[in-house]
Amino acid sequence: MILKVENIAKSFGRNKVLNNVSFEMDAASLYGIVGENGSGKSTLLKIIVGEWKHDHGTISVSGALGYCPQNTLLFSQLTVDEHFRYFAAAYGIEKAESTDRSESLMDYFNFRKYRKEKIAHLSGGTQQKLNLAIALLHRPKLLILDEPYSGFDWDTYSRFWDYTNQLRSEGCAILVVTHLLTEKERFDRIFNLEQGELT
Amino acid sequence: MNAKRITTGLSMILKMLFRRRIIIISLVVIPVLFLTIVELTAPTRTIPFRLASLDIRTFIRESLKEIALVFFAVTSSGFLVSLLALNLIQVENDVNRRLVICGYNPFEILISNLLALSLLIIAIAVYIGLLVSWFVPINNLLMFILGLALIGFVYGCYGLAIGSLIKGKMEGVFLIVMLANIDSGWLQNPMYYAEAHNNVIIRYLPAYFPSQSAVIAAFTDYSGAMARFYGILYGSGFLILSMFIFYNKMRIKK
Repeated sequence: MILKVENIAKSFGRNKVLNNVSFEMDAASLYGIVGENGSGKSTLLKIIVGEWKHDHGTISVSGALGYCPQNTLLFSQLTVDEHFRYFAAAYGIEKAESTDRSESLMDYFNFRKYRKEKIAHLSGGTQQKLNLAIALLHRPKLLILDEPYSGFDWDTYSRFWDYTNQLRSEGCAILVVTHLLTEKERFDRIFNLEQGELT
Repeated sequence: MNAKRITTGLSMILKMLFRRRIIIISLVVIPVLFLTIVELTAPTRTIPFRLASLDIRTFIRESLKEIALVFFAVTSSGFLVSLLALNLIQVENDVNRRLVICGYNPFEILISNLLALSLLIIAIAVYIGLLVSWFVPINNLLMFILGLALIGFVYGCYGLAIGSLIKGKMEGVFLIVMLANIDSGWLQNPMYYAEAHNNVIIRYLPAYFPSQSAVIAAFTDYSGAMARFYGILYGSGFLILSMFIFYNKMRIKK
């Protein structure tokens, strides 16, 4: 098992956002979580990655975790290459491996030509590609994606799904959160988050 | 703790900082502007004033212009470092959080920021020290620069604490401008201080010991060692507070 979420609860004041949420994910699985805006999808992901504290419950993750946040969390004054170097240091990847990996990701998602550009000068779509590529840099065992393809064009969207299929074939478990789900057949399981509960 | 992560962080922080042109322009221009205005407007009349941190209650006679130049050097040094520290911690706070999720220890990020801040404190103190010495003869330039570095340290750590605590940019800048203006820009002025009805309060403010240290070095042969010592203690208090707040905000919650 790669991810086990047990009885997670979270409230903001009197507003109970998550109410005893539980699920498990095995290797090579693809799960989706859908729900209306403000239903607590991003809150659940932030709790799983450790960004926010939950009120009670337990979470266990085995293996490296990759997280692509909903908002592009990038340094506006650094270049694409510098981001790969900075995050490679965070993951503890050696330089040669991180160079190979980042170049292959830039080629796959077609943004190598922007490698020397500062983030402030890139389009929203290219920033989103880098946002995703950073989560993939260290070949995670569990990939958590929060609205990952919101700024993608059709070609990048197709490549994104091809890439996730490839990752699954390598044993990576993928959890996608979105408010808009069009291709349900891609997923092993889809949860609906409603009134703080997964159905 | 990983040295490679810290050096990578330091190099990225310096790159980000020096790519913001407005910051570099402010660092160079603000002290020149402050000192030029003082040079053009301050009267040259000589007055006696007292330095409270010296054991010997002696009066020093200096011209108002020279006092004002030294005093504004201290103020601009503290103010600039404090704003830079706020900028370092606050502007990229969410992305730093992502680095922590990806494997950085919050202390590694903080140490990278502290190293960058230390380099800036030294650079600003040397620059302003040399600039002031061009306007006014400084008695002990090295110790004066040390006094400027000390106010940079105290106010830099205050900026780090505010940056860690306050999320809004405006609120952070407001808290820095308010304290820097009231404390370093007004109450610590030797001319105001000498006449103050209650200078006990002034002695507990952050700029007191660094200001005393810088003014002693600028105008006298007395030792400012005690003022420097207490200044370091004061700054260390802010440093520990900022480290505590930063770590608690950045750590992974599991």
